[in-house]
Amino acid sequence: MAPSAVGGMFGPPQTVSRESGGLNTTIGYWYYEDTYKNDTSHPIRQHHVYSQVSYGSKNIWEIYGRIGVSDLKIFDASKSTHIYTTTIKDHFEENWKFVGTLGAKGFVAFNSIFGIGAFVQASYNFSNYTDNLVGIYHSTPFTDDLKVKNLWNVNFGIGAQATVPYGIKLYAGPFIYYAEADAQLACGIPGIQSGDQRIAWKNKSIIGGYFGVDIPLAKGFRLNIEGQYTDRFSIGSAITYTY
Amino acid sequence: MRHCIPLMTLILLIAAGLTPGYGLASDPQQSPENSLSVQQPTRAKAGSVPAHNTGKPGITDKDPYSDEQNLDYDDDPFAEPKVTIADPLEPFNRISYQFNDKLYYWAVKPVATVYKWIVPEPARISVKQFYFNAKFPIRFINCLLQADFSGAGIEFGRFTINTIWGIGGLLDPAAGGEIKLAKQDTDFGQTLGMYGVGHGFYILWPVLGPSSPRDSVDIAGEYLLDPLSYFGPWYTGIGIRPFKIINNASLVIGEYESLQEAALDPYVAIRDAYAQYRAKAIKARKARSLIFKDVGTDDSPAGPSVKK
Repeated sequence: MAPSAVGGMFGPPQTVSRESGGLNTTIGYWYYEDTYKNDTSHPIRQHHVYSQVSYGSKNIWEIYGRIGVSDLKIFDASKSTHIYTTTIKDHFEENWKFVGTLGAKGFVAFNSIFGIGAFVQASYNFSNYTDNLVGIYHSTPFTDDLKVKNLWNVNFGIGAQATVPYGIKLYAGPFIYYAEADAQLACGIPGIQSGDQRIAWKNKSIIGGYFGVDIPLAKGFRLNIEGQYTDRFSIGSAITYTY
Repeated sequence: MRHCIPLMTLILLIAAGLTPGYGLASDPQQSPENSLSVQQPTRAKAGSVPAHNTGKPGITDKDPYSDEQNLDYDDDPFAEPKVTIADPLEPFNRISYQFNDKLYYWAVKPVATVYKWIVPEPARISVKQFYFNAKFPIRFINCLLQADFSGAGIEFGRFTINTIWGIGGLLDPAAGGEIKLAKQDTDFGQTLGMYGVGHGFYILWPVLGPSSPRDSVDIAGEYLLDPLSYFGPWYTGIGIRPFKIINNASLVIGEYESLQEAALDPYVAIRDAYAQYRAKAIKARKARSLIFKDVGTDDSPAGPSVKK
């Protein structure tokens, strides 16, 4: 079974808070896809909606916390490898669960246009995801509960930023990440990879790239659009208000 | 302690409205029957000597400049009209006042003081803002009922912005920065007032605070439209509302005490301030209304009397 470890957007390397120090708050949506594996690989997909509060200062540093909800879909999660086991439903699906994220970033400006920054961001799912598994083993129907729990991830990256006219910030950079979760069936079924023992699942790739644009809107609002590529492509957008 | 007009707001108003030039003529020692007749306050000019109360209702010490003062006051075209409210239930109200007073000093203030010591002021302001934001449906519907459609739009915008970017209403980005959407602090009592319903008479509810028959309608209206009324089982409100009271009280500790020191009769001061505050609020709301803009001030016999 595969883990859910949606991290969400990283945002521009430079804080958008006031130079003298202040809050900024964000609401965002993140469409996340990646591939996780143990013995076999499984694509996963999540929709993540979140609210974030950040405090930054001096155009240099920022810390932030994020609370959101995300669903989870794991493709071919219940596919059997045993000749006598057949599953009726192959995909694992569960609705919205709470996810919390903490992060920090720092930035060094080379001049008024270019600069480079680094960030670290970690997420944790407060709840477990559960879906039922229905199939036939030796001509006998069975049903079982599949639980995905202790989902977390950590990301570290660097990013280059260019501030172009109208205060628009363009940024891109590489990042490394690690994600893990435990998957467990209530009862072991032959041919289903997650048995009744806990199995740790990890991300297939450990490196990715991200890029984005941060556009000033009216009255203190900003629009941030970002894409990330690891084994699959993820994209999202957020609107930030700077106090 | 849920108020038709939140008591602490009223205290703030009173504290702001009581200047050395205002003298409250009612004697705290006089009987309830005597205090039904409330002498009009005299506003002294800056630097002049305020009229001294002798302790007898309606009688003040002779002041050599009193005639001049009265002339100035009467001729002042910019003088605020004095609003009063009938108080036939004064004996009951004074008992209620004593009850609320003891409730404040014996329960609310000690708890609020400890709470204030523990919780930083920005967090307490955020809690107050959260409760205010949650009452958006009350303000939005009343703006519509008052034909203040721009106010309804502003309230909708404030609620949306503060809920999304204000972390569920804990912060108030809509009021600051470049947005500057002003709070539309309105209620069902004001709406009825705009429809021509008079105050009636003064009621000081135990726990709930100053009100009138008209404004008491607001108690039911607020309960039905306050989302917190539907939050969890019924007993959840037992925890939510006292917390709100304690939090709000922690932000104004000392102001009620200042009022008591400044006023000869705090009961009368609160009553007059309440009547004046409500009349001003309705007048201000009328000025925003598309329909009620040209309707005059409520001076119906059942309503508060307005005197120049």
